[in-house]
Parts: sequence; C-alpha cells; structure tokens
Amino acid sequence: MSLNFYRRVAFGLSPSDELPQDPLSWALNQLNSVPDFLWKGSMPTEKELRKKYGEWVYGDREVLRKKFKNDKNAYRKAKDELRIETGERYFELNEHAIRHYQTKYGTQPVFERFWLFWGNHFAISEKDFLAEFSTGPYQREIIRPNMVKTFEEMVQAVTTSWCMIHHLDNSESFGPNSKKGMEWRETINENHARELLELHTVSPRAGYTQEDVIQLAYIMTGWCHKWNNKDLETADIWFDQEMHQKGDKVVLGKKYKNDAKRELAKVIHDLATHPMCIKFVSTKLCRHFITDEPTKEMIDPVIEAWNRSNGNLIEIHKAVVTQAFKYNSSTHKFHPPEIWLMQLSRMFDLNIPLSAEKMNYTFKLKPTNRQKQLSWILREIGNSPYRAKQPNGWSDFEVDWVSPELLLRRFWFASVELPYLVNSQNKSHDFILRCLKNNFEDHEKMAAHIYQFRFGTTDKDLGRKYGIICNLPGVLKV
Amino acid sequence: MNCTRRNFLIGGSTTLFLSGFFPKISFASMQKKNLIIISLRGGMDGLTAVPVIGDKRLKKLRKKLILEDVLKLNSDFGLHPKLEIFHQLWKDDKAAFVHATNIPYTGRSHFDGQNLMETGAHIPYKEKTGWLGRGLLASDIVGKGLAISLPMPLLLRGVPQNNNFFPSPDFVETKLIDQIYDEFKGDHNELIKSTLDTIRQRPLSMQIATDSEDRKKLALEAAKQLKDQSGPRVAVFELDGFDTHAAQGGVDGAHADELEEVNEIVKILYENLGSAFDNTLILTLTEFGRTIKQNGGYGTEHGYGSAILMAGGLLKKSQVYTDWPGLKKKELFEGRDLNSTIDSRAVYNSAMSICFNKDPEFLRREVFWGDDLPNLTEDLFKI
Repeated sequence: MSLNFYRRVAFGLSPSDELPQDPLSWALNQLNSVPDFLWKGSMPTEKELRKKYGEWVYGDREVLRKKFKNDKNAYRKAKDELRIETGERYFELNEHAIRHYQTKYGTQPVFERFWLFWGNHFAISEKDFLAEFSTGPYQREIIRPNMVKTFEEMVQAVTTSWCMIHHLDNSESFGPNSKKGMEWRETINENHARELLELHTVSPRAGYTQEDVIQLAYIMTGWCHKWNNKDLETADIWFDQEMHQKGDKVVLGKKYKNDAKRELAKVIHDLATHPMCIKFVSTKLCRHFITDEPTKEMIDPVIEAWNRSNGNLIEIHKAVVTQAFKYNSSTHKFHPPEIWLMQLSRMFDLNIPLSAEKMNYTFKLKPTNRQKQLSWILREIGNSPYRAKQPNGWSDFEVDWVSPELLLRRFWFASVELPYLVNSQNKSHDFILRCLKNNFEDHEKMAAHIYQFRFGTTDKDLGRKYGIICNLPGVLKV
Repeated sequence: MNCTRRNFLIGGSTTLFLSGFFPKISFASMQKKNLIIISLRGGMDGLTAVPVIGDKRLKKLRKKLILEDVLKLNSDFGLHPKLEIFHQLWKDDKAAFVHATNIPYTGRSHFDGQNLMETGAHIPYKEKTGWLGRGLLASDIVGKGLAISLPMPLLLRGVPQNNNFFPSPDFVETKLIDQIYDEFKGDHNELIKSTLDTIRQRPLSMQIATDSEDRKKLALEAAKQLKDQSGPRVAVFELDGFDTHAAQGGVDGAHADELEEVNEIVKILYENLGSAFDNTLILTLTEFGRTIKQNGGYGTEHGYGSAILMAGGLLKKSQVYTDWPGLKKKELFEGRDLNSTIDSRAVYNSAMSICFNKDPEFLRREVFWGDDLPNLTEDLFKI
C-alpha cells in the first residue's frame, strides 16, 4: 500500500492525522454523511448573499449611475464605497477561506474531494457577480447536501437553483406560444437546456439533435427569477406559467405531455438515469480520481454501482474510491493547482486560510491584503475556483495544466510565497522531515534534496527547501 | 506518393527562379514571417463584426441588435465601429475579411466546436494536437510557437518546445529550475520533461515579471518578441466571452466589448511590430457564428457560419472574400443560421503555407489529412 492514496482521494495526512489502519475503510467510511462546516466565522446563506448581490446591483445600476450621471469621478468614488458596504470584494475571499479550512482540517477529507468534483461538474463560470456573491454558497447549499442523495436529486436541485438559472440565462427564455411570449413576441434562450444535456447529464455522445435542445428549452421555460423593482434579477426562483410553452414536447424520442411545472422533473428523471449520462459522469469521476484516460475496466464497476443503487451518490462515490484504491500503484494522476495547494496546506500545516477571527469584515473598510492572500495565490497559480472561463468548469486533463508559465507559477509559489505561510513553530528541518515521512514512501530520497539546507531557517532557506520538495514528480502527481 | 507533388513544386519554383521570373519568392522566404491567431471563444457573431448592409430580413429579425454607425467597407458590407483599426488598415490593403465561413462543424456545442476549431478534425476529442502545432512540425519549425495565455492552447500542441508568456508576479531562481529538471529526468512524464526543457531555454527577455491581468502589456510584449528576427514565428492569443445569449447589444454591449478587445490587440501589434507588420498575418478563429434571429434575452443562440477577421502586410488586398449564401429562410443553415460556404480550414491552411513557406498541398496532406481544402493563397495573400 502506498501512502499516496491519501493524496489520491484526499489531501494527504497532516502532522496531527493518525495513520489509518485500513486505508480503504478509512476512505469509504467518510462518504456516508455530510460533514458539518468547521469554519467558525461568518457563513451567510445563499439567500442572504443574494440579497447583498441585489443591494450591490440595485445600488449601482438604479441609484449611483443616475445620481452621478454627469460626474465620472464622483461616481467611481461612490461605487467604491458601495463595494465596501455590500461586501462585493469580500465574500468570495471568505468563501475561499471556508472551503480551504474544510479541506485542511476536515475529518472527512475524501468527502471534501468529491465536493470539489461536483462543484466543478455543475460549474458556475465567471459571469456577472456570481463569483463575488453566489458560487460559494451555491456549492455549500445546493451541491453539498445532495451528495448523499441520488444523482437525479442533485440535478433537480442544481437545475432549479437561482445560481444555475442566472448563470445560463433561463430567466430570459420564453415559450413562443406562452401568454407572455405571444404578448411580448419573445422566444426561447437555449443556453441552459443545451448545457443540461451536454455538460450536466447525457453529453453530446448521446446523439441529441438541435430539435431536442429546443424541445428541452420549451420544457424549461417558466423557471425563472421573480423579477421585482427592488431585487431586480436576484429575486427567488419560481415557475411562471405565463412564460411556459404550451403543448406536448419530445426529447430524445420520448413524449412529455403538457403538464406545466411538472414536465421538468420528468425529463430530468429520464436524463439523469440515461445510460449515456451514467457512462459520461462515471468516466469523469474516474478521470478525476484515477487517471486522465480511464479504461473500461476502471469505469465499469462505477457504472454497475450506479445501476445497482439507482444512482445513489454514496454508493457511486464508494465504487470510485474502491477503484482508485485498486489502481493506486499502477496509475498516475497529475493534480490541478488548487488541489495541490490544499495538499501542501494540509501536509505541511501551512498558515492558510486565515483564521475566522482575522477574516472578520466590518463593511467599513476594504478587505486587507492578508484577507485577500489566499484568493490571490489561487489566481496566480491559475486556478481561482469560482472563475472558470466557461460552463464546462476547470479541466481535469494534465495537458491543460502543464505549460511553461503554469509550472513556473508553481515553482514561484513554493519558493517565494510559501515560506511566509510556514507557522513559526514549524520552521525546523525536523518538521519537514516528519511531514515527508507521513506522506511519502521515498521520504528519505526526498530529504536528500534538501539536506544541504538543513541548518537554514530564514525564509530564503525555507523557500529553497519547499521550492524543490513541492515540485518533485511524486508531489505534483500521485 | 507522399512527396511526389512536393518535389515537383520545389522543382518548379527553382526553375522559375533560375530563369529569372520569380526572384521574389526566394528573397521573401528569407524574411521571418509571423502568423498570429486570435481565438475567439464562445462563438463570434460574424454578422455583428462584418454586417451585411441593407438586408431587410436581418433588420427584421434583429430589431434590438441592429447596428447604427457601421464603418463602410464596400457596397455590401460594413464593419462594427469598435473594429476601428481594421477600418484604418483596410484603406491600406492591410485588412480583409472572409465571410460565411466556418470549420465543418454544425453541432452547436461550444466545447466540441472549440475542440474542432483547434484540432481541425471532424470528430470531437479524437485528435490530441492542434492544426497549428502540426503545421509547424510539418514545416520543421520547432520552438517558435508562443501562446499569450496561461495554459498551452490545444491549437499549438503537437510540436515540441512551445513557449507561453503570462508571467507570474516574481522570478524563480534558475538553480531551482535546474534541480527540478534533474528530478524529472528519470520520470516517465514526457510532457513535463519537455516543458522543463523549454523553461530552461527561455530567452532572458521572457523572464520578466509583469501584470498579466493587463492584456495590453501582454500584447506589447508579444509584439517585441515577434519583431525579433530570432524570436517566435507564431503567436496565439486567447479571448473568451463571445457567447452572448443575453444583452448582446449593438454598437455597445457584450459583443461589442469583446470586439473592442480584438481591436486593441491588433492595434498594439500594428503599432509595435513596425516594419515586421508587413511580414505578418493576423487571423481570428472561432467555433461557430450565431443565429440570425435574436432570442428571448436580446442575445443570439449558437449558429454555424461566421467570419474571419484578418490583418497584416501579407494580405493581397482589402476585400470581403465570400461566396455569400444569402439570409432568406431557405438559404440559412437549418433555417436559422448564416451558412458556411468556405471551409475556414482552407484559409488557415493557405495562411500557414504563406508564413511557413510551404506548399499548401503538402500542408493539406500533413495537417488536415488530405481533406478537400482549396488553395486560397492567390486569392487572399501576397505570394
């Protein structure tokens, strides 16, 4: 058994983690329940943050732009003040802290790895102010509690969430024969329907046509935010019958009778249990935990678990972990930058994220540089989690994470920035050796690389040690 | 069979040279020629960038997206006002457009489409290399690709030792790079090994720290590199945000903002390449165009035919090169999209042929599996 299994399915072992007796049971037992958040600081709900989003958008669009329409400088100043008052520059930092606190200290780190996976599978890409206010709480409240339910329940929750509907424009989609569609001569917006098929469920390999996309978009019409003059686009999601396309619809050859809001649950049921969906998502899971190009032998047991349990995510996750265990020493997986950072933080007890106390925000001053630090590092290493450029989220392929600049940024982080994150009591050479021993079979060989710096305790010395250690082949990959 | 025609052509041009008819080819081939591709992800709307003038049907279907103040190109086509540098270059025969063109992909998925625009293939995710990377390799041009982005674009993959420029906030000690390099020597990972090779061979001029959020600075640096006779011959820029399902706008708006970014990059390249601009081709690349009709959110949906924006001194003349399919319902692709009458890969193949001094026929076979791509070099470029 190789110690890298703890990094393959989690974040490695921290100096205070005990070495599990039975690694596979250790991992499987973490998947039965949703762990509580350990974060002791502020953790506003999705709805509270949406309210802040509304205040920011309303304040800027409806108040400041009108009030200062002839004075650009005064407008800019007032807008900066509004940013501070609404936390526009703060909440994303706080969400990153909550997330990294969980992966650093969580007692079910394997569950946390699946949480990261699903947040990226049902990605919210960088658009409007979603990263600033909504993507973090969406992952906490929509993705996380559904990870012990069925995949179908997860898709239902995601598809009708405010965050996804706003992200993929479904509020702008009108049934052309609906009351409002006819009155305002409006029509559908296909964006959400297409991504529900392509990215969230069956994938293009299912062979759907443009007509399928249109028909699914018809079914989805009416699911939108309930616009009002104060909340603007940030009001709750409801089903507006007056926007809903009337008549029967046909998707992937199956007829859905005219049945208003109930049509969506029916079609999601069929998509989420479609064999192509099961194959597509199982492959993605294996790619994330096993290797970039998983074989049929690797994937099949996950598909079987899916079929046997009717899509129960606990059982699916267990099958993935079992396969990851089985192929642990015969496969390689290169980790994207954020997971690498989380592993370094847990294994070497780095001083990120900032404590809840220090993350406290008063809505009177700009966030401090210390408060911005983690988010800044994530951006610089190329993997700011809520800011994927497109709705397919961050890539899970090694080739997308290896380029001269991407590697240089990791070298830069480990050798230049990381020393500032080493806790004062952890600066001894012995400490690093202990961490290496906890996590790597070939720790002695690794230690030899930094032997020449063993007496050094300055930041520069630490930079030389961590610079090389963190970028060795066996650390960048499992 | 593979090299017969190539040999014939080489033989052919040598004869011309010796008989004194065509000395320019040989002379020009000594000059470094730059090929710059700007990827426009999300689906660039060719009808917003290069609108057809006076089409009643377009006006009717796009009530909220109609452009006023378009810049005039010719009697049939205008130019989006944010593409001002192209208009300026047009007057000098240094800007041109190919219209109603696309890769042969009609599936309307961004991710399949982007994969195909980069691989140049027919089946998504089948090929692991980009047409530009393969083109460089086939032309024996190695280590001359530069990406202005953090990841290495698929478009450039397939030839070793490409560089990218997107600097981190600080330097990394050379010694550390050497140590990590040594550790990877015994590793099976060829990709990381060759990337580390590239890092060690990076010119000093690339080891600067700058603000990579600032696209202008990046474009400026790229221009400096490309201007250098021993520098890169190919550069790839990445822009995203063209997927305007909502609030696409006309003269201003989401699509206009993106076009403005294209304009900015081309402007900086033009102003800083100096005389090297005369030996340069800049072409845009996108996965598909957008529907003719506006949708429920005053945006447009995924479509088919789009346009290629081109600039540079290697263009033959200012022109809108098109086999215009028309915008009547029956002329549209599936009744909703501008059709594509020119396989855009023919344009890229011809551009590579000019910039890499290779026979287009040879590149077509080496890069595009011998697909039926007409030679457009004489129509579009200076030869």
